[in-house]
Parts: sequence; structure tokens; C-alpha cells
Amino acid sequence: MLRLSWSTFRDRWQVFIGAIVTVALGVALVQSSLLTLISAATARVPAGLSSAEAHRVRDGRDGALALLGNTLGLATFVAVFIVSSTFAFTVVQRYRELALLRLVGASRRQVRRLLFGEALLLGLVGSGLGVLAGLPVMRLQVWLLIRLDLLPDGFTSAWRTWVIGASVGAGVLIAVCGVAAASGRAARVRPLAALREAGGDARLMTVSRWLLGVVFLGGGIALLVIVPHVGPDAAIAMALCSCIVLVVAVAAFTPLLLPAASLLPRLFAVGPLGRLAHANLRADTRRGAATAAPIIVLFTFVIGMAGSLGTLGAAARHETASGLRADLVVTANQEMTARLAAVDGVAVVSEETPVAFDLGSVEDGKMTYESSDGLSVSPAEYGRTHRLAPRSGDLADLHGDTVAVLGSHWDVGDVLRTRIAGTPRDLRVVARYPATISGPQFLLPAGLGVERTDSRRYTIQVASGAFAAAVADRLRDAGLGRDGTVDTAAGWVRHEASDRQRVNTNVMVGLLALAMVYTVVAMVNAVVVAASSRGREFATARLSGLTRTQVIRMALWESTALVAVGLFLGGLTASATILSLVGAVQRIVGVTIVSVPWTLIGAVALGSLAVVGMTSVLTALAATRTPPVRLAGTRE
Amino acid sequence: MSTRERFQQTMGDVRTAPAVELRGVSHLYGRRETAVRALDNVDVQFATGSWTAVMGPSGSGKSTLLHCAAGLERVTEGQVIIAGQDISAASDAELTELRRGPVGFVFQSFNLIASLTAAQNVAMPLRLAGRRPGRQEVHGALAAVGLADRARHRPRELSGGQQQRVAVARAMVTRPAVLFADEPTGALDTRAARSLLDLLRSMVDHNGQTIVMVTHDPAAAATADRVLFLRDGRLVDRLERPSARAVADLLASWDA
Ligand SMILES: Nc1ncnc2c1ncn2[C@@H]1O[C@H](COP(=O)(O)OP(=O)(O)OP(=O)(O)O)[C@@H](O)[C@H]1O
Ligand SMILES: [Mg+2]
Repeated sequence: MLRLSWSTFRDRWQVFIGAIVTVALGVALVQSSLLTLISAATARVPAGLSSAEAHRVRDGRDGALALLGNTLGLATFVAVFIVSSTFAFTVVQRYRELALLRLVGASRRQVRRLLFGEALLLGLVGSGLGVLAGLPVMRLQVWLLIRLDLLPDGFTSAWRTWVIGASVGAGVLIAVCGVAAASGRAARVRPLAALREAGGDARLMTVSRWLLGVVFLGGGIALLVIVPHVGPDAAIAMALCSCIVLVVAVAAFTPLLLPAASLLPRLFAVGPLGRLAHANLRADTRRGAATAAPIIVLFTFVIGMAGSLGTLGAAARHETASGLRADLVVTANQEMTARLAAVDGVAVVSEETPVAFDLGSVEDGKMTYESSDGLSVSPAEYGRTHRLAPRSGDLADLHGDTVAVLGSHWDVGDVLRTRIAGTPRDLRVVARYPATISGPQFLLPAGLGVERTDSRRYTIQVASGAFAAAVADRLRDAGLGRDGTVDTAAGWVRHEASDRQRVNTNVMVGLLALAMVYTVVAMVNAVVVAASSRGREFATARLSGLTRTQVIRMALWESTALVAVGLFLGGLTASATILSLVGAVQRIVGVTIVSVPWTLIGAVALGSLAVVGMTSVLTALAATRTPPVRLAGTRE
Repeated sequence: MSTRERFQQTMGDVRTAPAVELRGVSHLYGRRETAVRALDNVDVQFATGSWTAVMGPSGSGKSTLLHCAAGLERVTEGQVIIAGQDISAASDAELTELRRGPVGFVFQSFNLIASLTAAQNVAMPLRLAGRRPGRQEVHGALAAVGLADRARHRPRELSGGQQQRVAVARAMVTRPAVLFADEPTGALDTRAARSLLDLLRSMVDHNGQTIVMVTHDPAAAATADRVLFLRDGRLVDRLERPSARAVADLLASWDA
């Protein structure tokens, strides 16, 4: 058996190298994300910082932890998904050979043992390489996250020796699990399949595939239904989850969807070549599914995440703009309410200061505190420069040890146990508002002595009859522009939105970049593996009259079709995710806002087309190098 | 008791019992409306130590008959009895046992494992059965088909006829009681075909093995002990101790 494995390896090294590469990179990706996550989680807040600075560091770390947690989850999912689809494909590639073994007396168990043995070997070699590859990948990931301001400068991710065991164990486990489903089917392959041209049974949609698809589709739909109800903070994480679950469902149904979806390119593929390419896709659904899988994953996550974040961003902008009843916004680092109010034409000045306090909750009879963000305001002025519609209570009561809550489970009259500047304070809830997308969650009265975490903001209403632009000029003339920035309300909203957009883009890149590079490698891999077994098919096509160029054009058509199919199916899952977020936004803002990242879609589509197209042209060139007669007779 | 043991016991007990028997066998491909009745209520016995040729027009169900008789295809109706045992409801494990022991195959397309040498291909059934094949055994089988000097060649380095002979050597090495061959001479020239047929003849005459062979070639059919004619899935005629001329005449009469 071992000898058989070895000689099969020599013969089909592309297939196995492909499997090793996917395992190695998958392990590297997961290991790097894991180590970075642990390093971030165990990093201590440096001593000797002011409480506000400490708060900022802690805040940044919490954000980084959430991001890294998501990155780890995503990396794990993509690795498991890609490796198992690659392994399933390598098994499918060998159906004929396995049937032949069955014909000469191999039992089902022997076939299974052969496949598991190979998976074990490939998993070991792959994850061994992955542990090594994980080091540069980790350096790259940390560098990227620092560049994107998602980790602090000077952050280092420490190597931990136990990770070798974890990585190798996980790699082998993933490889073996990847082959488990495929091997069950391969063991059931009928010996007679060795005598047929297209090996394997005709039934692609097995019972377990249906089951998997239905369960995950159901789960995905359930998530999509929940997303609008979880609030803006959890929505993005839920959207990521629903992307993951839906991708599995779509992948399970791909054999069913592919023939229908491949009609898409059929519309464009005129002439005999296009028709042949379309027929090839239909006939070899497994190959198509294996190649389309990474494309679907890439499109789903990139479009789904970009669309979700974009929609949230647009909604936040809308919310901020429509909630603001001010004409000017001044941002400054010092207290200047009196100076602003003294300027001619200024009617109302509302000082709003981002603050941090510790919110306590009783856990196991013990009080634990968690850092929370709020906005310190003067209720009367704040109420005039903002549109507010309380669910209950009145902001006018925001005096002394009180608080107003936005979108939380507390109600008017409840008492929040907090710690402000180190001393415990009980704050009574005086007003309750609906949730917002861009925050804040708490409004605190000015003068509570809460720690400031960012620049002060002054929202200003000009007197009736005064021109905002003129008042702005006067503010600048009064020298207030030197100590802060004076902006129109619309301009400030725009800046805020583009700031948020930048952060969102950074988060998305930090979250997706490496995993998506991995899917691109998987795409190339799938095309190479698929082409490695098509030498005979290409030769037959050439013997029946196609020139070499035509064969290559046919391969190009096929890959174009697969990218189109991947884009279509990935776009479908992404749309579902984005739509659920649109629902979430609608519930909060009350307006339907959709942001579709068209440029990104175009770029990703063209990029994938270039990568897949180039690979298939190169592999087709390689596969057609030998004269056709020599190949047409051989078995593969 | 393993299938093989049971098989040998049966063989010992009843020498005269048929090696393979088909009782009222029908086989349908596909489902309902599009179903093709490839075999239609076929009754036939293949006596131990006999050589039967199966003939008939293309699509008449010859390969299907072979596959059903060998337990590669489950019959839709009827029973297939190999050495007294009904295999129409046998488990996959039992059928595997069958392929390891009493049943061997040679097909028109050579079906060698491309990555293994000729010798490794021949040794494969023994290895799968958990036996360590002796060099002698494998080389003996290759020598019997005249390929002793090609043991270390891979299939793609062999001619079509040579590949076919490796497949025969592989089928011989387990000394199957019944050998099923589907157009084994189809890809061979007259000389190569002749030597293959001689090989089969000696298997029947000297080892008492049973052979069921599908062929289109009257000359090949004439080397068998008996010829069956199949048409539209039904057995329509038979010839005992046929001559090439008699076979050709009969084929011509059916064509008319
Ligand atoms: N897997 C299959 N699915 C559906 N129909 C099949 C299948 N295999 C064979 N058939 C049909 O069953 C009938 C008998 O086929 P079979 O292969 O047994 O013919 P044959 O006599 O061996 O022909 P040939 O001499 O051309 O090899 C034919 O009509 C064929 O189309
Ligand atoms: Mg046939």
C-alpha cells in the first residue's frame, strides 16, 4: 500500500503538491493569527499611564482582540474549507484508479486506508512546512496590522513552542477530516467505474451533501433573520458568521447550481469553442466545483464584508447628519464654551466631550468593572443642537449622578453602578433613547469629573438671521481656529464619515487580506490540479481537429465561465448578508441604505479572471506540449 | 467460513456443478421511462473447466451479461450463482472476497495502474489479499504471457498487446476458478491474439479453470468449447465445439 502511495505520488505530484501547499499555507495562516491573538491578549498595559491613556490603550487592545479573534475564526474556516475541498478533489481525480483497485480485489476498507494514509502523510508534511511558513506569515500579518493602525507601534508577536504541536495536530486533523467525507464516497465507488470513461458515480448530490447544504442554509437564513435585531455592534460579527455559514451551504449545493449557473457564460460563449467549454463544465461538475470553491469564498467575503461595512458607514453618516441640528462644529483640545458663546452670531454652544468610565456588573457575587465610552454633555444645549426623541424620560433631568442611555436594556429609574476616576458612583437613568449606529451609548452630565478620552467637540447653532459661513469666519478671526478646527456641520459629518470609512477599510483589509491571498493561491492550485489530469482530454480534442491555440482558448473560456459562476454564487451569498445588514440599519435609522462596493467587485472579478485565466493558459500550454498522438492512447 | 473456503469445498464436493449459473437474469439500466433492458430473462450455465464465447451485435448485452455473471453489476431480477452461492444479494465484502479469489477479469481496455510497473501490477491482487507475493509467482505469470523481460516497465512503455498480456498475467496470478474476459483480443493483431487464445486454452485444459469470453471475432470464438449468441438481451442461439466457419455462418444468418 505504501509503495502504491509512493508511486501514485510520483505520477500525480501536482495533485499532491497542491494538497501540501494548501495545508501548509492554511496552517501558517491559522498559526500566525493564533500567536498574534495570544500576544495581544497577554500584552500588559504599561504602568505609569494616566487613566485616560490607559483607557485608550485598553480600548485599542480590545478592538485589536476582537479583530484578531475574527481573523483567527475566518482563517480557520477558510483553511478547513480550502483544504477539505482540495482533498476531496484529489480523491475525485483518482476515482478511476480506485475503481481499478476495487476491481482487482481491494476492499472498501483498503481503499479508505489508502486515502487516510495519504492524508496523514500529506497533512504531516504540509503542517510541518506550515509551522515554518507561519513565521514569515506572522511577521507579515503584524506588520500589516501595525501599518493599518490596528495594532500599536512596536507590537511584537511572540513565538510559543507549544504551537508546533497545535499546528501539526490541527493540520493533520484538517487533512484527515477533509479526506474523510471524500473517502467514504470513494470507497463506495463501483469497480465497474474503472471501465467507464468518466469515473465515479453520476450522483453528485449525495444524501449527506443535501443534509449539509440544508442545515447550513437553514442556519444561514436564521442568522440573516437575527442580524437586524442584534444591534449595530454585533451586526458585523454576525454578518461575518452568516457569510461563513452561507458559503458552506453554497459549496454544498454547488454541484446542483453549477450546471444552471454555467448557462451564464453560455450566453456569451458563441461559436464551437464556447459551446465545448460550456459542455466540459457541465460534464465535469466536480472539477468545476473544486475550482469555483475558492472563487466563491473570495467573492463572498470581500463583497459581503465590504458591502456590510460600507452600508454601516453610510448609515452612520446619514444618522449623524440627520441627528445634528447645528450649523458649525468646532473641535478643540481645550475648554472654550464661553469664548465661543461670546462671538457675535453664535446662538447655542453645546460642548460634547468623549469620556470613559467603568461600568460595573455583579458576577458571581463580585463586582467587576468594564471600561465604557460615553459623551459628557450639558443637557439643555445638547438637546437644542441635536434631534432627540426619547423612548422614555427626559434629558432635562440629566444633573448630578445621572445618566441617559441609548439602546440598552436599562430603563428610566434603573441605577448603573459605575466607577468614575477611581471612585464608585451610582448613576440613575433619567432618559432612554433608541440605539444608534455611531454611538454614543451613554450621555453623562458635564461636571461629573469623568475622564476625557478625545478632543472636545462644540456643536454650534447660529442666531437666526446670521450666516453660518460668516459666523465661522468670525470664529476664526477671534483666534478660535488656532486652538481648534472650525467646520460647517456638513463638512464635519463628511470628515467623520471619511475617517470612519478609512478605519473600516483598514479593519477589512486587516481581517481579510491574508485569508484572501490564501484563496487566490487555492484558485491557482485548483486550476493546476485540474489541468494535470486533462492531458489526454486535450490530446483527444486536438486529434479531433482543434489547434493548440483553440485548445488553450477553450481552457480560457472555461476559466472565464468559472470565475463568472464564482462571482455569481459568491455575489448571491454576499447580497444576502448585505441585505440583512440593510435590514439592521433600517431598524435603527429608519431609512433603507445600501452601499454596493462596485469598484471593489470589478477589481476582484478582474483580478480573479487574470489569475485564473493566466494559470489556465499556462497549464494548458504545458499540457499540450507533447504531440497529441502520444497522449490520446494513455490512461490517466 | 470465507467465500473462498466455501467455494473450494463446493468445488470438491460437486465437480460436475456449473462454475457459474444465471437463473432468469434480467438487467435494466436507468430508471422507469428511460430504462434500457440490457438483459432479458437469461438462463445459462457455465460448466466447470469449460470455455464459453459470447457473441452478438453491438449493444446486445454481452458486456452486461459478463458484468452480472461476475458480480460487478447487480442484477435487476433473477439469480447469479457462483460455485453454489447466490451472489445476487451478496454484500460488498463478499463480492470483494470473490474478486480476490475465485473470479478474475480481463477487459478490452487494459486497466493497468499507470503508476506501477508491470510486475507491480501483476502482484497487486495478491498484495490486496494480504499476501506477500513471491518473485517466482509474479515472474512466472509474466513469463507465461511472454513478458518476463518487461517486468520493470510501466504501462505507457508497453505496446497495446503487451499491456493486454500484463492484464492477463494479473488475472492469472490469483489462479481464479472463473476468468471473465471482455473482448480480450479486440486490440491485438492476429499473432498476439493467437498466443493469448493459446494461453487461455491451456488455462482451461491444464488448470481446469472456467472461462467466459465476449468476442466479435469468429476465429477467437472458434477456439472456445461453446458459443452463445445474444441479441437484444436474450440468448438466441448456441453452438457446441464450433468451427470458425460455422460461427461466421451463424452470425451471417442472424444479420440477415
Ligand atoms: N451504464 C449504462 N447505462 C445505461 N445503459 C447502458 C449502460 N451500459 C450499457 N447500456 C446499454 O445496455 C445495452 C447493452 O450494453 P452492453 O454494453 O452490454 O452491450 P455489448 O453487447 O457489450 O455491446 P458492444 O459489443 O458494443 O460492447 C446497450 O443498449 C447499452 O446502450
Ligand atoms: Mg461490450
